Amino acid sequence: MTCERIEELLSAYLEGELGAAERAEADAHLAACPECAALVGLMKETTEAMAGFPEVEPSPVLLSSLYAIPAAKSEKRKLFRPAFDWLTRPALQPVYAAFTVLLIALSFVLFHPEGRGIRKQINVKFHRGVGTVEKLYAEAGSIKGEIGTLTGSVVKSFNSLGLLRGDEKKQ
Amino acid sequence: MDLDTVIRECLAGSQGAWETLVNTFAKRIFNMAYQFSGSRQEAEDRTQEVFLKLHGALPKYDFGKNFTAWLLTLAKNHLIDDYRRTKWEKTQRDDFDDRVLAQPAHDGPETSLVEKETKAFVWEGLNRLSADMRMVILLRDLQGKSYEEVAEILSLPLGTVKSRVNRARIQLAQVLRECRGVTS
Repeated sequence: MTCERIEELLSAYLEGELGAAERAEADAHLAACPECAALVGLMKETTEAMAGFPEVEPSPVLLSSLYAIPAAKSEKRKLFRPAFDWLTRPALQPVYAAFTVLLIALSFVLFHPEGRGIRKQINVKFHRGVGTVEKLYAEAGSIKGEIGTLTGSVVKSFNSLGLLRGDEKKQ
Repeated sequence: MDLDTVIRECLAGSQGAWETLVNTFAKRIFNMAYQFSGSRQEAEDRTQEVFLKLHGALPKYDFGKNFTAWLLTLAKNHLIDDYRRTKWEKTQRDDFDDRVLAQPAHDGPETSLVEKETKAFVWEGLNRLSADMRMVILLRDLQGKSYEEVAEILSLPLGTVKSRVNRARIQLAQVLRECRGVTS
């Protein structure tokens, strides 16, 4: 029997669970190998030491805090009850239904086998929309400029005709 | 009153039944947490969390199952999860309890001193084991459970439990050898 094999069998050896033949082999190895024999001794001491660890009593403070768990939980529940009631009132049912439909629609877009194409199309349309809005905005800007110029020339024309200088003529 | 009746009454909201449940299992869970973490403060916190979880999980308990094994599995999962989350903060165990060291030995004062020292080394050595190894040795050698009970609590095959117990004992024996080598 090798040292590795003995290591695998050490617990069974100490607990008397080995068959007679295997035990005899182990005994023979241990008698010839001081290293393994020392390990058996240490292991025996270790298990005996652990068996001798007594149980420790939980403190009265801990026990009373354990007794109070149901009361503390029901207090907590009371604290969150108003929020829970508000969220579960029947008036919000259509909102949840609409939200669910929205999520389902979104899931079609996100998880559809051709979802990538759909997302691309949405992207293109969105960017086109943004481009159109930008164009309209630019056009509105140029129209505003033209209106400004036109107003300026109308005012100049009026001035040149002297229609707005009626007061000076009177003087 | 049998355990199933106590649990049923707990589910019905009886404070008395809850206190009976606490009285029956608090010591066992506290000791498990103390031996696993090595710190009284830690053990108190973890025990409280385990009982909080138990209170929440009680409606899910299947009455056909072994309640003690179910509760110990819940405690084991909580202790290991918490240890994995915060293991870097838990590198030190409390000094080995004086009351334990003060216990009378069987074979006179000299043996007593060696026994005390061995216990202290083994206590320290538990911290060098991985969480899984520590739990398996704790259930088998510190709490005195049978291999079958340990396998049920840890949801592991019997062979795996036996091999883990053996490896954990070897590791602790090596720690003991190292510590003695340092002190002698």
